[in-house]
Amino acid sequence: MRISRRTFAAAAVALVLPLSACGSGGDDGGSTDASGKVEGNITFQTWNLRANFKPYFEGLIADFEKKYPGTRVKWIDQPAEGYADKISADAAGGTLPDVVNVSPDLVAPLAEAGLALDLDKAAGKYRSEYLDGAWASHRIPGLSGTYAFPWYLNTGPLFYNKSLFTKAGLDPSTPPKTYDELFTDALQMAKKTDGKVATLANVPTIEDFGRYGVQLMNKEGTGFAFNDAKGVGLLTKYKELYDAKALDPQALTATPESSGKKFLTEAVAMNPGSALDLGNFKKQAPGLYKNIGITDQITSTGHVNMYVMGVMVNSRTKHTPAAVAFAHFVTDAQNQMSFAEKVAIFPSTAGSLDDPYFTKEDGTDETRVRIAAAKSLKNAVNYTPVLFSEQMKTALRNEVAKALQGKESPKAALDNAVKACDQLLKQQG
Amino acid sequence: MATPTAPSRVRRQLPTSPWLFAAPGLLITGAFVLHPFVSTVVNSFTDRRTLIPGHFVGLANFRELLHDDMFWTGLRNSTLYIVGVVPALVILPLLLALLVQKNIPGITFFRSAFYTPVVASIVVVGLIWVWLLDERGLVNSLLETVGIGRVGFLSDQWLLLLSAMAVTVWKGLGYYMIIYLAALANVPRELHEAAAVDGAGPVRRFLDVTVPAVRPTMVLVAALSSVAAFKVFSEVYLMAGPSGGPAGEDTTLVMLVQRTGTGLTGRVGYASALSVVVFVVTVALMLLVLRADRKEES
Repeated sequence: MRISRRTFAAAAVALVLPLSACGSGGDDGGSTDASGKVEGNITFQTWNLRANFKPYFEGLIADFEKKYPGTRVKWIDQPAEGYADKISADAAGGTLPDVVNVSPDLVAPLAEAGLALDLDKAAGKYRSEYLDGAWASHRIPGLSGTYAFPWYLNTGPLFYNKSLFTKAGLDPSTPPKTYDELFTDALQMAKKTDGKVATLANVPTIEDFGRYGVQLMNKEGTGFAFNDAKGVGLLTKYKELYDAKALDPQALTATPESSGKKFLTEAVAMNPGSALDLGNFKKQAPGLYKNIGITDQITSTGHVNMYVMGVMVNSRTKHTPAAVAFAHFVTDAQNQMSFAEKVAIFPSTAGSLDDPYFTKEDGTDETRVRIAAAKSLKNAVNYTPVLFSEQMKTALRNEVAKALQGKESPKAALDNAVKACDQLLKQQG
Repeated sequence: MATPTAPSRVRRQLPTSPWLFAAPGLLITGAFVLHPFVSTVVNSFTDRRTLIPGHFVGLANFRELLHDDMFWTGLRNSTLYIVGVVPALVILPLLLALLVQKNIPGITFFRSAFYTPVVASIVVVGLIWVWLLDERGLVNSLLETVGIGRVGFLSDQWLLLLSAMAVTVWKGLGYYMIIYLAALANVPRELHEAAAVDGAGPVRRFLDVTVPAVRPTMVLVAALSSVAAFKVFSEVYLMAGPSGGPAGEDTTLVMLVQRTGTGLTGRVGYASALSVVVFVVTVALMLLVLRADRKEES
């Protein structure tokens, strides 16, 4: 048999053409009705939790499967780094798990693409179980609905090196609380150590601007506004720190990992982190661990930044009742409380923060930190704008770097950053 | 004895067989080379985002990149990378190959040692160099000891780019050395002997015998290394960080493609337009090198 050119071309097109569907998602959406029988196999994806909480999640899944016979939950966990890229690849390839651990900024593009189930419609009956602010944290400007169950909340501690504070003539028992105190202490630290020890390892982020009291977006939520006089004031102060080496010289290219290492090697005196870091300090830098101080985030507004974790249901799931039931099960008051007892996180369910576990002192440092954090959480604010994408973070970071290097004035840098972020916001539609 | 009909059956089947043999390769090429390439070109004319299909926007993406400062920064850095890396990668591996070409005891160790960076993971290599060049790293400690003082290898825009170039050259030396070793093995020994008899010293013999004999290989190395240099990503990404150095000033074109086109809000259409530009420049580079070689020959 002879293959003609036409036949070959047709075969090649037939083989290659279906591939062009790859990445376009497709609209084989599941049902938005969660009222049916809870059954079927679903997949649950968490964000870097397997290493430390494997028994907890295995128990949680076993309890759910026992409560709803006929369900089976496959648990997958993704590393912290590149989590957004992993979700992005899964979403584009149509392989997004049924139930996904997300943060508000991750759920926004998924909701806009119609991949996140509107829980006001599918699970509105559970709304009263959660704190109002927590439930609202997964609402997306420009869309109606709520797109994830609120899960755990955290404020994230700020670690500081007491020994370096003492050497610089600062009182380690009174670490800075506001930005003005921070700037004063940081300049003193740099002066006393001849610029060898910096206080901070990171350039200011959008959350810093929020905690300094800068208005981040306009009232309508249609554009950014952090280039006001207050924003310029903050950046001007950071420029002063950078020039005095109170801000690490490598801060312009720092990543959370690299600044963590700087803190470990005692090259910087303060660094934000999570409760898990304490274990790392103990293991990797016992000398530092002995001198660790823990304090609240720096804020000039009286409100610390609250990080919100959520659990989203894929709108294309084939088992909507099971997926919604499981997402609710993971985030209900009982399971959030039992998770909070394993790690320093805080439940987003109504009334949980009034539990004696978060209010009653027992004399240990751990409990004191927990109670203080739970107290600050009650009036904490999620300063990260939901629509602030990775590209916007890069645009702000680059302009901040130009101001710190003296290539642009703080005012010009922030004007440019706002312009770039507004342009990206417009492109996001 | 074969029957008279047998050869004609073989002849009849011949046209099908090559296609069947080629089919696996063609399929793989179609799926993993041709299709992504065509998709990229098509996407470059759309405003497609990671999760949103997008619409045809004509040349808007290409017009936008002409006004995008970061595009020009990326183009500048990728071009500088060629200027800094290619001459070093054409000349240094040749000298290294000449050094290890001779069969003396223990030379295999040196050949292996020079080749080791090639097989090492770029991530590991990048991290090691970051530790070495850190503000408190080994290199800075040494510089401080000898009184020069600490140098901001990883915080200064130009030093960062130079450091990344140094890593690229260091990692590529062994690979191109092997190519040169193969070429040197084909240089007729008689030519060197004749030149020596005529009174030519080692430098003269290198310039008048070795270099002309390995010139085609030098052109190949120049072409390969310039394409690789223009598409550099890992070294700069690892050393300058995801933001592309201070204020993004060390961003290369491929880094810009990655930063623009990935993530949940990635601008796939615009990143595709950037990729098309990278492709066109890369092809132009290859043609330029080959053309220069042809001119030289004629």
